[in-house]
Amino acid sequence: MSDVFLSRSGRRALLGFFGAFLIFLYAPTLVLVMFSLNDSAVAGFPFVGATLRWYSAAVHEPEVRKALLASIEVGLATAFLATGVALGVSYALARRRFPGRSVVSALALLPLVVPTVVMGVSLLVLFRPNGPVIPIPLSLWAVLIGHVVVALPFCILILMPRIASIDRRLEEAAEDLGASWWQTFRLVVLPLIGPAVVSSLLVGFVTSVDEVVIASFLVGDQVTLPVYLYSGLRFAERTMMLVPVASVMIVASFVLVVAADLVRRAGDRRLGAA
Amino acid sequence: MTTATETAEPPVPGRKMLSRTARERRSGLTLSLPAIVILLVFFIVPLYFVVRFSLGIDRFARTEAAAELTGELASFSLELWRDFLGHGVELEILGMATIGLPLAAVGVAAVALVLGAVGGGRLGRHGGFVSMGCFALLLAPFFTIPWGNHLLRVAQLSSEGDFLRLFFKSVTMATTSSVLAVAIAFPIAYTLAYGVRGSKYTWLLIVIAPFLTSYLLRIFAWKVILGDQGVVNTALFGIGLRDPEHPLSFLIYSQFTVILVLLYAWVPFIVLPMFIALQAIDRKLLEAATDLGASRLQGLRKVTLPLAAPGIVAAFLFVFIPSIGEYITPSLVGGTQGYMFGQAIAQQFVGGTLNWQTGSVLSIFLLAVVLFLTLATSKFLRQGGGTVA
Repeated sequence: MSDVFLSRSGRRALLGFFGAFLIFLYAPTLVLVMFSLNDSAVAGFPFVGATLRWYSAAVHEPEVRKALLASIEVGLATAFLATGVALGVSYALARRRFPGRSVVSALALLPLVVPTVVMGVSLLVLFRPNGPVIPIPLSLWAVLIGHVVVALPFCILILMPRIASIDRRLEEAAEDLGASWWQTFRLVVLPLIGPAVVSSLLVGFVTSVDEVVIASFLVGDQVTLPVYLYSGLRFAERTMMLVPVASVMIVASFVLVVAADLVRRAGDRRLGAA
Repeated sequence: MTTATETAEPPVPGRKMLSRTARERRSGLTLSLPAIVILLVFFIVPLYFVVRFSLGIDRFARTEAAAELTGELASFSLELWRDFLGHGVELEILGMATIGLPLAAVGVAAVALVLGAVGGGRLGRHGGFVSMGCFALLLAPFFTIPWGNHLLRVAQLSSEGDFLRLFFKSVTMATTSSVLAVAIAFPIAYTLAYGVRGSKYTWLLIVIAPFLTSYLLRIFAWKVILGDQGVVNTALFGIGLRDPEHPLSFLIYSQFTVILVLLYAWVPFIVLPMFIALQAIDRKLLEAATDLGASRLQGLRKVTLPLAAPGIVAAFLFVFIPSIGEYITPSLVGGTQGYMFGQAIAQQFVGGTLNWQTGSVLSIFLLAVVLFLTLATSKFLRQGGGTVA
């Protein structure tokens, strides 16, 4: 059977290109992980032998621990705040007609296109230590605010289509049976979009833990992990200590991404059944 | 909420409907309120203050004396905008002829070409050509082919103004990496849509997953690989192709590297809109073309590509828009050669050359360019944008 899109040889060539592309895509990460195990002071050849000493050095470095902890705190707070706020506005956009609806939806998605540098400096202007417009000191709190703004559109893009895809009659049935709006939301809507809420939390967390530009403008004395990694790269002697941290983070975020996708697929099935 | 009292009301149809709309409005706004407040206070208001800075209404220094030191404007003035934009532009074609142009002309031409590229399709039979022509003219001065330390190009925009020149350079780098990213991602999307056996979506996840992992760390990996003491160079030392005293230094800290790494970072992402555009093509159209005697190449050129074009344009924009203001990639692997506009902005606020007002001018300009592009091309972005979530 001949295919209208691809001849046999064309298909073979494309698959070859595809394979090469996958190598290009994954090689840098694999190389990074490989050299994090190298028993050498630089991340390069020759490969002297496998060691975990850079991992143990990183684990025992108090700066790394503090930065990691700071990132996790900000990440968790971002995830819950952004998801909570996004739930409200997503429900409103999906289910309610109200004045200014299109303005709200445009405003909520606008942070997606604004360059992060511009967002970072604008918040720096807002919180500037000499004469702030809003007196929030440059600290993890300031970073948290920036990250909520950045994560919000992503959470909305995950939650809104889910809420919109719920069969309206389920909510109407609940209301007809005397449920209040909150009861309907909690007992009907939330269980149906549960997986989307989980992926929204994950995306909020990952967005924050990975974000470095805004954070680098707003951190005070306590840096987040990406800021620590980013500023540490300027010092050659610290690089080897950063490589294991980076390796662990890449692998961990990869696992999170795959997990989030599995959760989403489970959600698709659940909604399909509903 | 107020719903308990509403449901207790007698079921008079007209009245219930009225109160329902009113309730809807109120609860719609109430539910949106936290988001609206956060976005206004921490997103719109800060930008408003950046605008004030750019016009000299606000300044970093608190006293007159300090302002003298930082060289800041003390009151409303367009001076900084004039410093930035008040320069002529030279258009160099094929490295031979150079034409001097006022910036306004270049701006008007750029806006007209963007609108032509977006709206040209509506101009009837030859609309497609108008659209593609505008797009090609837009790209021509900015698309380059990275060649070691050098860049091969058709035309080049340059200016006396340092920041303006830097902006052109950033657009050039962003354009180049976007075009190359699309050129690589299209065959990948095509393979995913028509070539692979087994679950397409699992393959798609394999392609996209790296994009969803840490952006910073993937660039970090490149820095480790391409550095003077990095994996590539030490491998070359090891097999004796290169002397440790003379590493291949263009591998890192060059425009080439920034373009490569930007491309690497964005390719997995833009496979998605193109894949979706290709998936949506009705197989019967291709079968009809084949029945009428078209070869596969003709089918690709006359059927598949035109139908996938919106997805391709969306993919281009998805790389281009974030790349113009890119900050992390050039800071890590760009060095002085690969310095970009986004870095210049940061430098004005936290770097060596502290001038918040100039930094604000650059920020607002960048924001305006990005917003214009987003609005002008929103029909493409929305088409591909459904895929972002």
